[in-house]
Amino acid sequence: MGCFVNRQPDSIQARVLIAGWAEGSALVLDDTLSFWGGFNPSNGEIIDVHHPQHGQRVGGCILCIPQSKGSAGTPGGIAETLRNGSGPAAFVLGERDVNIGVGTLVANQLYQLNVPVVEISIEQIRQIKTGEAMTINRDGTISINR
Amino acid sequence: MRLNELDQARLDGKLGKAMQFAMQTIVTAAHIDQVDRLIDISFAHIDACFYNGRAHLDFINYMLEHGATLAVPSWTNNGLVSLNDLSVRDPLASREMNEARQLMQAYVRLGCNPVWTCAPYQLPGRPGIGAHIVGSESNAVSFYNSVIGARTNMYGDYLDVCAAITGRVPFSKLHRDEARAAQILFDVSNIPSLIRDNDLFYHLLGYVIGRSCGNQVPAIIGLPSSCDEDDLKAISAAASSAGSVPLFHAVGITPEAATLEIAFQGRQPRQIIELSVDDLQQARNELGKNSDQALAGIALGTPHFSYTEFERLVRLLDGRSIHPGLVFYLTTSRHVFEQAQGHGWIESLQQAGIKIITDTCTYFSPVVNGLQGKIMTNSAKWAYYAPGMLPVDVLIGSLRECVESAVSGEVTLDQWVAS
Repeated sequence: MGCFVNRQPDSIQARVLIAGWAEGSALVLDDTLSFWGGFNPSNGEIIDVHHPQHGQRVGGCILCIPQSKGSAGTPGGIAETLRNGSGPAAFVLGERDVNIGVGTLVANQLYQLNVPVVEISIEQIRQIKTGEAMTINRDGTISINR
Repeated sequence: MRLNELDQARLDGKLGKAMQFAMQTIVTAAHIDQVDRLIDISFAHIDACFYNGRAHLDFINYMLEHGATLAVPSWTNNGLVSLNDLSVRDPLASREMNEARQLMQAYVRLGCNPVWTCAPYQLPGRPGIGAHIVGSESNAVSFYNSVIGARTNMYGDYLDVCAAITGRVPFSKLHRDEARAAQILFDVSNIPSLIRDNDLFYHLLGYVIGRSCGNQVPAIIGLPSSCDEDDLKAISAAASSAGSVPLFHAVGITPEAATLEIAFQGRQPRQIIELSVDDLQQARNELGKNSDQALAGIALGTPHFSYTEFERLVRLLDGRSIHPGLVFYLTTSRHVFEQAQGHGWIESLQQAGIKIITDTCTYFSPVVNGLQGKIMTNSAKWAYYAPGMLPVDVLIGSLRECVESAVSGEVTLDQWVAS
């Protein structure tokens, strides 16, 4: 007989920056990323040649960003990748970022999307591993199946 | 979040859907930054008119369809295409270029003053010291804060437009006194005056500051009294390309830095960096090498060429012509173009072989016609960005070096920091 360890998923309460709902697998960025210049919004690919995850695509994942890189062009990059469907299902930030928030808010409004942006502590985001299944709820609760 | 009655009415949709969405965006930005108060602005410089994908066009079309109007005078940054000269980047050549043109036209319909410039501070009608404004393009944000003493954060795409529509921004960061204190000091007193008097010095200085100050507010001491607004423009542009520097102080020169003590608001510098000629030499090498390739062209006017830069260029060129086979591009605003035209300078520079472009810039992809190969520029900003976006090999030089190279057809450098 199989023995399933039916663990309760881990739960984190995040601060809601943009309310929405999403599930998907985590992609944790290993370095900061500029969504203008370092990212191709037409296909969701990380194109910054200095980035350790260069060549990876962010489509459909829960994109976890420990540290932000400020750029005035970020909202346009975010809105465009969400518009054409190549963007992440949600953003989990370790550091608040107005530009990611505004880009997502605009895309949600223009294209009737429901993409959440939430903020957790830097310690909490470091516990998340790429590939873990995550659900983000409108109230900011995050559940992680480890 | 403390909202006044008018803000609440805007948020509730009583002033239309465009206003409601703009207000939601401003309130969301305040919520994200944990700011509980909004303030009025008196001016906005809009960057969202620079094409960056279809979403840009969808956003402004949504706003226009839902009745958006401007609450404050709003001027446009560069566009991706020139509305004056379709040969620069042909708007009929691709869907993107055509949308880039539509985007610019949409901001005209919104009521923006179509100045199409990244150097709006060169035009009459500047904000005053202490005025709360919205800046977006990084060199203009730095110049407005540092040189004019107006107050702005670096507002990203859409937030700039929402601020212009509502006339409101969160009362955060550089809008507040305490965030404007200098924290790190750059001392250039030991640089020989021969070098400090050269226009290239300011580009290299800005680059070094951008590279080394992190997110601290820098102050500079030891600048010569000859330092003018073109030089301060160079620092603004170079520092905010190589790093993120929305505000710097030049002691004895810029308005919030009459003395060292005032610039630091009475505190001590956390760090003092004494610059050497070697630091400048290294900056110059990092910004481009004099490769074996033959010189293909010259690019001036990043940020947009000023009236006084035109005056210097005409004097340096002294009636000579550009070497045949070289391309020579110069970007400026419509306003300064007309000023230069009034002196007959545009005609004489064009006859000498210089292509003068308004409304846009030359360091972005897609390439401006013919601009490839080894290009010399007087701008650290151009040198910093162009190699990542265009098929170019960059070399930086002073305005005089650019002119001498353009006339002779080969790179001609002065001795002081020759690479």
